[in-house]
Amino acid sequence: MPVSSQILRPVSVWVIALSFALALLINLLPWQSSVSNLSPDFVALMVLYWTLNQPRRVGVGWAFLLGIVMDVGDGNVLGQHALAYSVITYLILSRQRLFAVFPFWQQALVVLGLLTLGQTIMLLIQFSLGASFIGWGYFVGNILAAVLWTPLSNLMLSHQRKPLSDSL
Amino acid sequence: MQSTQPAFFKQGPKPLTRLLIFSALSFVLIVGDARFAMLGRVREQVSILLYPLQWLATAPFSAVRTTNDFFTKQTQLLAENRELHDAQLAAQAQAMQLTALEEENRHLRQLTATQASQPQATQLVEILYNGRDPFSAKLIVDRGDKQGVRSGQVAIDAKGVVGQVVRVQPLTSEVRLISDRNHMVPVEVARNQLRTVVYGMGRAQPLEIHNLAPNADIEPGDILRTSGIDGLYPAGLPVAKVIKVDRQATSFARIICVPLAEIDQHRFLLLLEPPAARPPYPAEAPASAPVAKKRGR
Repeated sequence: MPVSSQILRPVSVWVIALSFALALLINLLPWQSSVSNLSPDFVALMVLYWTLNQPRRVGVGWAFLLGIVMDVGDGNVLGQHALAYSVITYLILSRQRLFAVFPFWQQALVVLGLLTLGQTIMLLIQFSLGASFIGWGYFVGNILAAVLWTPLSNLMLSHQRKPLSDSL
Repeated sequence: MQSTQPAFFKQGPKPLTRLLIFSALSFVLIVGDARFAMLGRVREQVSILLYPLQWLATAPFSAVRTTNDFFTKQTQLLAENRELHDAQLAAQAQAMQLTALEEENRHLRQLTATQASQPQATQLVEILYNGRDPFSAKLIVDRGDKQGVRSGQVAIDAKGVVGQVVRVQPLTSEVRLISDRNHMVPVEVARNQLRTVVYGMGRAQPLEIHNLAPNADIEPGDILRTSGIDGLYPAGLPVAKVIKVDRQATSFARIICVPLAEIDQHRFLLLLEPPAARPPYPAEAPASAPVAKKRGR
């Protein structure tokens, strides 16, 4: 159910920080190299989730910082994830009021598009540094991420949802 | 659209401004890191912040392995076993060099000056995780600057060369596998000492030898080992096995090899100490000689 049709409790900054820490943790898990392509980028997913749902708390700055951390964790060129995350966060912010009232499945499509854009940016950065194309498998994780969007949003919203009180 | 909002909704700089600031910053970082490699300090600081998470992410797996071991063996046996395992790895590494040295010795018996390829001190490291970036084949291992790891050290397992330490952080370091796209290893064919260079082609791809004439004496089944010419890789470590030679391909033969080391199967690797510094290259003499000759003609 879209966010706007419910009464939600406010979120504390600590919950946001904790969720980002968890997402980083999942991204840093020792994935086998064979499945690492399939694993969605949970940090990007979480950045998109919070930007969509808490645009006043989480924005381009958070995305940039988390991108730097991902770059160091992965041993990439510094700034690659940071740029991609900043751009997709901005795109969400620029139409946030529209996306926030979408049903989850439409939000998932938007997320799929944005994650693909983010990876395309990283791909272009790698190309400009002399890498060659590594196959379409690179994008498969995004589809999984889009599938995960609805359960993830429900999970994240569950602690914010107020039971419809009888006082109303 | 944003500018027409009531002041109540204003929230600092507009998202577009922020995007411009941060993407400019990203570009500076990318260029600074990729072209000039001057962001080592930043990387070190962030990696120290990240280490607890890295540790936490791998801790459950280590814990599961440890408990498994505990239930199957007594702790005493376990420690002994680990020790022996490490010792065996170290011994195998030395044995690999020894057989290569013997063979080399037989070939070079007449020469008085033999190459100083002594068995070296090694350091055992555990693999924390492999980099998520599918563009490069990298491993993150649990020893860093504090434990004396240096950039350029060679990583091996019991079967052969695995890769090379390319970046050292205070508590972790990155090992680039020989299959990485940017990686090359100077090798020689064990059968006839033909010197060449083997190139990585990317994660989960075979290795390739470029720029070898179609009639070069190289056959499927040949073992390639390090030649020691670059001064980084000690001579005689097994690297790869030739599996296919296509002499019709282009003006060069297309030679496909597979790494001998099990580069994506292990938990532990050995880092070899870097070899002693070589005398510097003779800088000007070889370059100027042909020029002078040309001018004379």
